[in-house]
Amino acid sequence: MNRRIKNIVIKEWKTTFGNINSGLFITLLPLIITAQALVLIYLVMNFAGADVLIKTILGKGMENWVNTFPEMAELSLVDRFQVFFFAQFPFYLLLIPVMIAVSFATFSIIEEKQERTLEPLLATPVKTWELLLGKALARAIPSLLITWLCAGIFLAGITWMGSAHLLKFVLNAQWFISLFLLVPLFSLLAFMLGVIASSRVNDPKAAQNIAVIAIFPILAILGLQLMGFAVFTLTKLFVLSIVMVIVNFFVLQIAIKLFQRESIVVRWR
Amino acid sequence: MSVMIETFNLTKKFNNLTAVEDLCIQVNKGEILGFLGPNGAGKTTTIRMLAGIIAPTKGYALVKGIRTDEEVEKLHEIIGLLTETPGFYGRLSARENLLYFARFYDIDADSQVDKYLQKMGLWERRNDKVGTFSKGMKQRLALARCLIHEPEVLFLDEPTSGLDPESAKEVRELIMKLGKEGRTIFLSTHNLEEAELLCDRIAVFRTGLVVIDTPQNLKQRLFQRQVIVELEKVDQKIISAVKSLDFVLDVKEDGRQLTIELRDFDKNRPELVRCIVERGGNITSVFEKRHSLEEIYLTLVKEEEEMKA
Repeated sequence: MNRRIKNIVIKEWKTTFGNINSGLFITLLPLIITAQALVLIYLVMNFAGADVLIKTILGKGMENWVNTFPEMAELSLVDRFQVFFFAQFPFYLLLIPVMIAVSFATFSIIEEKQERTLEPLLATPVKTWELLLGKALARAIPSLLITWLCAGIFLAGITWMGSAHLLKFVLNAQWFISLFLLVPLFSLLAFMLGVIASSRVNDPKAAQNIAVIAIFPILAILGLQLMGFAVFTLTKLFVLSIVMVIVNFFVLQIAIKLFQRESIVVRWR
Repeated sequence: MSVMIETFNLTKKFNNLTAVEDLCIQVNKGEILGFLGPNGAGKTTTIRMLAGIIAPTKGYALVKGIRTDEEVEKLHEIIGLLTETPGFYGRLSARENLLYFARFYDIDADSQVDKYLQKMGLWERRNDKVGTFSKGMKQRLALARCLIHEPEVLFLDEPTSGLDPESAKEVRELIMKLGKEGRTIFLSTHNLEEAELLCDRIAVFRTGLVVIDTPQNLKQRLFQRQVIVELEKVDQKIISAVKSLDFVLDVKEDGRQLTIELRDFDKNRPELVRCIVERGGNITSVFEKRHSLEEIYLTLVKEEEEMKA
């Protein structure tokens, strides 16, 4: 990592994790999201029942899933639904970095302005892209690590729920690509959008309203799969990952263009 | 003497508001230039343009030959900027704050930070969070931050503004030391005493440059040197005698004091004293009238306003 970016990342960690509230939020929010997913699946499977679910829109999603992955045909209806829900988890996990980004990245530039540290910072030889990427990475890296930790907790939860025999259907290539390729790419995108929002407005709430847009594509992926409009196969996930790499690159370029030093320094009060 | 800072018709407009207009100025290497002007005169805007933070609308500036609007990163290697209200990360210690800024430069960050913490008298408090620091300590820390990479040129924006007299004195002494080290300092202030004390030259500024010169020359340019003669008793016989002297340009009476304007201050003074003594005047003291920089500044700003009107 570039020396200056590393410097920014370390400073951001010190200021963020030095604050107990921020530290707790970053740790607790992902754990709550994971627990919520496990409880929801447990309740749906035990109280709604597979016979009811098959008649809902989720039934179409599950059938499409089974058609795409024929090895699931050997499972009972209940197990098919469970695997179907478990397989959505990596996409659901994408909400973690996005929510952390909305809470923290949106504050990153505004905070510098409010603390009056931005002008001295801009008087150093730091380049705009280094500053923006450093700020995004500082939040993206811990949220990525905690997301992966949550994936581990989720798998442990599956076992605890008595569905360990389904893990071989869940832990396929799609799961790993989603987790180790899509999650980092979406995280970076979410944090860059958060930093862009932070550099465009002088009010953290307005920045959060802008950054929350990043949630929509994730909800769209989840919704499309759950309702049976699309199944993200291995090929589709690879294509999506490549698209995300390109999008991330362009978003960084846009962030650099939108980061108007003069406007931030002169007009923000 | 080489020129360190040079501006060429430097202009900055914010929509319809002209903050700085056609500023042409030169600052020599090792010089401390005082940039004097009332609030809202465009001092901070000028400093921001010179420090490459904002770009001029028209014209350009060179700092050690570097265009401030084009080679910003190169410029930032050689300048130090002290902003009007310097901010810090309150949750980090003084050392952590300085290290963060130092690591953006190609320097031995640790040793430079330790050097300036000691130099600024903050060594004992190096591990304390900056949030607990007084305003004066923060200002010293801010000075350390802008010196950490040993810049040749310093832009100091109101360095003593809002400080108590003791802290302000400490900061002034530090600036004086920096000047003696041979750094070029562009000092924006509206503290006239400070400017007179610290600066080699003073630029009076109000959107545009009003005048630039040494404090001494400014005084001479605006005010004829005057002598004040204090007498035990002033009578009309003495005043008439003084007025009749051909080298006396003007005489003003104020209680026991006569303020006299002479054609040649140094040459005519002994003759003036002799004349008063010969007419029976008992002189208690003779001294030169001192014009403060404040008088100069107010006169210049008033003249400028009248010209614009």
